Amino acid sequence: MNAAAICAAGLIKRYGDTTAVDSLDLDIAPGEFFGLLGPNGSGKTTTIHMLATLIRPTAGSAQVAGFDIGRDAVRAREAIGIVFQESALDRSLTVAENLRFAGLLLDLPTKIIAERTGELLELFGLQEHRKAPVATLSGGMRRALDIVRGVLHRPKVLFLDEPTIGLDLPNRRRIWRFIDRLRVHTSMTVLLTTHYLEEADSCDRVSFIRKGRLVESGSPRALVAHLGKHIVEVESQDIERIATQLETKLGPCLRDGDTAMFRWDREDIAELTRLQWDFAPDVGSWKVRRPNLNDVFLWVAGGKALKP
Amino acid sequence: MKLRPFYAVLEREMLRMIRQRTRLVAAMVRPLIWLLVIGGGFNAAMSSARGVAYQDFLVPGVLGMTMLFGAMLAALTTVYDKESGVMRMMIVAPLPHGWIVLAKMVSAALAAIVQVALLIVLLLLLGRFGSDTRWLLLVGGIVSTSLACAGIGMLTASFSRTLDNFAATMNFVIFPVFFFSGSLYPVQTLPAVLKQVALLNPYTYGVDFLKHAILPGSGTTDFSLMLDLAVLAGFSIVALAVASWRFSEESAYEPMIRVLTGKRS
Repeated sequence: MNAAAICAAGLIKRYGDTTAVDSLDLDIAPGEFFGLLGPNGSGKTTTIHMLATLIRPTAGSAQVAGFDIGRDAVRAREAIGIVFQESALDRSLTVAENLRFAGLLLDLPTKIIAERTGELLELFGLQEHRKAPVATLSGGMRRALDIVRGVLHRPKVLFLDEPTIGLDLPNRRRIWRFIDRLRVHTSMTVLLTTHYLEEADSCDRVSFIRKGRLVESGSPRALVAHLGKHIVEVESQDIERIATQLETKLGPCLRDGDTAMFRWDREDIAELTRLQWDFAPDVGSWKVRRPNLNDVFLWVAGGKALKP
Repeated sequence: MKLRPFYAVLEREMLRMIRQRTRLVAAMVRPLIWLLVIGGGFNAAMSSARGVAYQDFLVPGVLGMTMLFGAMLAALTTVYDKESGVMRMMIVAPLPHGWIVLAKMVSAALAAIVQVALLIVLLLLLGRFGSDTRWLLLVGGIVSTSLACAGIGMLTASFSRTLDNFAATMNFVIFPVFFFSGSLYPVQTLPAVLKQVALLNPYTYGVDFLKHAILPGSGTTDFSLMLDLAVLAGFSIVALAVASWRFSEESAYEPMIRVLTGKRS
């Protein structure tokens, strides 16, 4: 037994020659809101599927809610709710029928299913779509229903794998309002993967994963602070030359097309202003701004060390 | 053992059957065409085999056909479930994954039983159902044959990755299983090669079981009742075990694995 809600040690998953997840360690406390962030193909989903007992790790071990994901998979699943990237609903059934099916699969009595269906559909604003076939719901509504399905049994641990992928901004906001409400109502541990970084801002802790390995962990605020006080974003037609020149003064940069980004770890930006003046003739735009989680992501994805 | 998840799968299957009325109508029309049109034609062309009119001989065969198609089509929805996300709903449920296979198999058998019961009612109304039917035996034959047919379906489903090869499945599984059996002709009088294949076909024994129940004492049966029952039960258990093993392998979640390793993370 382990007091942690999710605990993984040396988790490895290989598919033939590809190592999807490489020696992953995790220690997530009960009630924690944890974000696993990384570019596409970095191993986020594989990690979630292993922790949710759906695929077997090649090596390593993990416990979820105190249950071993290998030996005690069935009991671990009792404590787990999971919302997949792709919808896990029967499109031919109605909203209520889907929840009844899911609830019975979870071994819930029909009375409890009916009660919670009412409660959750209310909470997620789906009450008037109760009898609508899932095929007629919009993408946002279907996603909301997917989350309702995932929490019907009040799991201790909820896995959210890109819960807002493919949704437009208003719908993404709605989904997040629901998840926030849900977290207020329960004390669930939530493991989130997303590549909309601003969504991870409210996480207690995030870890960045790159090529199957955890590269940086910490609270979003601490990670952003590691990056420095300011980010200087320079855009130029001749970025190659400008970047090389600026690097001697500002340190290593991150290049993206015509843009180069530099870190500046002092509040005082007088020197930056002077540099801007010097480079003005060759530069399209020169922006000095506060760093955010997106920058952390870019620096991590770029394979650069966070700490200066 | 948890019964609610089991019931969930059965309820969904019944719901789908009621919703898809065309499937149900087709399931009734197909055997009736065989019995009334083809059976009627051959009946007129051939002298009666072993004292039984061909059309009467065909009754167990078309009952078997109804169960074979009904159970196979229901069991093959497992492949569709894998692609549509319903399988995701089932694999996250807190039960051993083998039970999902058992529940799907039983629900496929149940779909077949409902269809064959409807057909029997129709045949009774048409006056085509033998009056010397041994009903209790018939129930036993229907249950065991349905389970065996569902077993064939689950095996097929557990080895096919996508629905793309659905037509192939029809042509290479359902039709051979139907034709290489005693549904349309007695097994004993078949040419040697065909007979060998029919003897290896578990469905053959299901039809034979039905003949014991529907045409008692007519001499149209090929095997003993005990052999029929033993083969059907044995095959159902083996099919369940193999399909469960296949589904416990990760290849069962092939669409998911593709997503994991390939284009998206």
